[in-house]
Amino acid sequence: MKWLPAFCLSCCIFAAHAGETAYTVRTTEVKAKPFSDADTLSSLPEKSKVEVLERKSGWMQIKADGAKGWVKMLSLRFGDAAQKKSGDSGLGALFNVAATGGSGSTVSTGVRGLSEENLKNPHPNPQAMKELQRYATGKKEAQSFGKSGKLATRQIDYLPPAK
Amino acid sequence: MNRKLLSIVFLCGISSSALAFDLGNIDLGKALGTLQKAQQASADIDEPKEIELGAGIASNLLGAAPLLKNQRVQKYVNNVGMWLALQTERPNLPWQFGVLDDNDVNAFAAPGGYIFVTKGLLAQMKSEAELAGVLAHEMSHILRKHYLEAIKKGARTGLIAEFAGQALESRGADPAFKKLVSAGTEVYARGLDKDDEFEADRMGVVIATRAGYDPYGLPAVLQTLQGMNAQDSSLALLFKTHPALGERLNLLDRLMTGQFDEFEKQPAHAPRFMGVMGKTGILKR
Repeated sequence: MKWLPAFCLSCCIFAAHAGETAYTVRTTEVKAKPFSDADTLSSLPEKSKVEVLERKSGWMQIKADGAKGWVKMLSLRFGDAAQKKSGDSGLGALFNVAATGGSGSTVSTGVRGLSEENLKNPHPNPQAMKELQRYATGKKEAQSFGKSGKLATRQIDYLPPAK
Repeated sequence: MNRKLLSIVFLCGISSSALAFDLGNIDLGKALGTLQKAQQASADIDEPKEIELGAGIASNLLGAAPLLKNQRVQKYVNNVGMWLALQTERPNLPWQFGVLDDNDVNAFAAPGGYIFVTKGLLAQMKSEAELAGVLAHEMSHILRKHYLEAIKKGARTGLIAEFAGQALESRGADPAFKKLVSAGTEVYARGLDKDDEFEADRMGVVIATRAGYDPYGLPAVLQTLQGMNAQDSSLALLFKTHPALGERLNLLDRLMTGQFDEFEKQPAHAPRFMGVMGKTGILKR
């Protein structure tokens, strides 16, 4: 059964968002348009299965029971509600902790670069640091980049933790 | 049980050999000097020192994963990153951004303004606003000195004061510098505090919004990763070192509801992002 996760993964990558299955993590209003004050078409209970069509900022267009509408993107999680509890840390993380154990020893994951082993036994790369510096963008350059994208700056304070 | 016992034996072995090493090299004058420095000090690492330390850590990271050989992509990520940096309280840091040629899905920050995102993470993105969200999350770790604090917490007493007291030019030869750089690199394998990650999520969303982007770029990336197969090995380190994606998304959901409606029309710049990434082979779709 080892091939199964790999198979599922390749599906996810190629499907992007369009047609992906998701489920609601809370009671969710379905709107006619992607705005808070748009008409409410219906309400989906928690753990409703939906098909995601596209995202527009904080909204996702979905199809549920044959009807289209827009819901808040953060009311959705991808996958199947039956297999994934909300707030699931992912089995991979659990396996990973179990495999590395608490001893502080590392598990060799082969030649892959960003392995724990490589990060615990690092080797500097001054050559690459010089290269990195060459790509740096100055303030003026950054300003004109923002302008070219018509990115208008806004005033907004950092937010306290959610209650 | 056996495993526990083994790890205790293992740890004892380490600490006793470290102790022996310290005692073997003890120099009373130097030790007293260090103690004084530690007492005087705030033991605070000033900005030039912070940058020096960060450069050492960044260099180590580049030793594990090289830079992607694509000037256009590297320049684009630096443009987005520096534009974001201008909207923060530390615009004058020597901000440098790099794409790592690695299929792991991850991003890293080092003190002083160094930020890296892997090719594997770029592959999961769909717009410039998503890239901006991820970069802004990493920048927040630097703005709030999360890594610096993590290094301080783990470092033996006096080591920080020793490093803070050294002349800047002595870099490389300074054993305290070397130890702190190694410790700093190891934080990538261990991860930051959960609360540091939550704070960086909250700040990242705000910084991207200030810079004029669609505020939902960072949540969108986290949601995409949450939809990936949790057992994919390219996610292993990210999952090990970060709070659960579901929990992060739940917190952002509560935080953003209502507060960001007025910014929803800000651009995501998906075509510009796709234009740069298009023929690079990074996006596997």
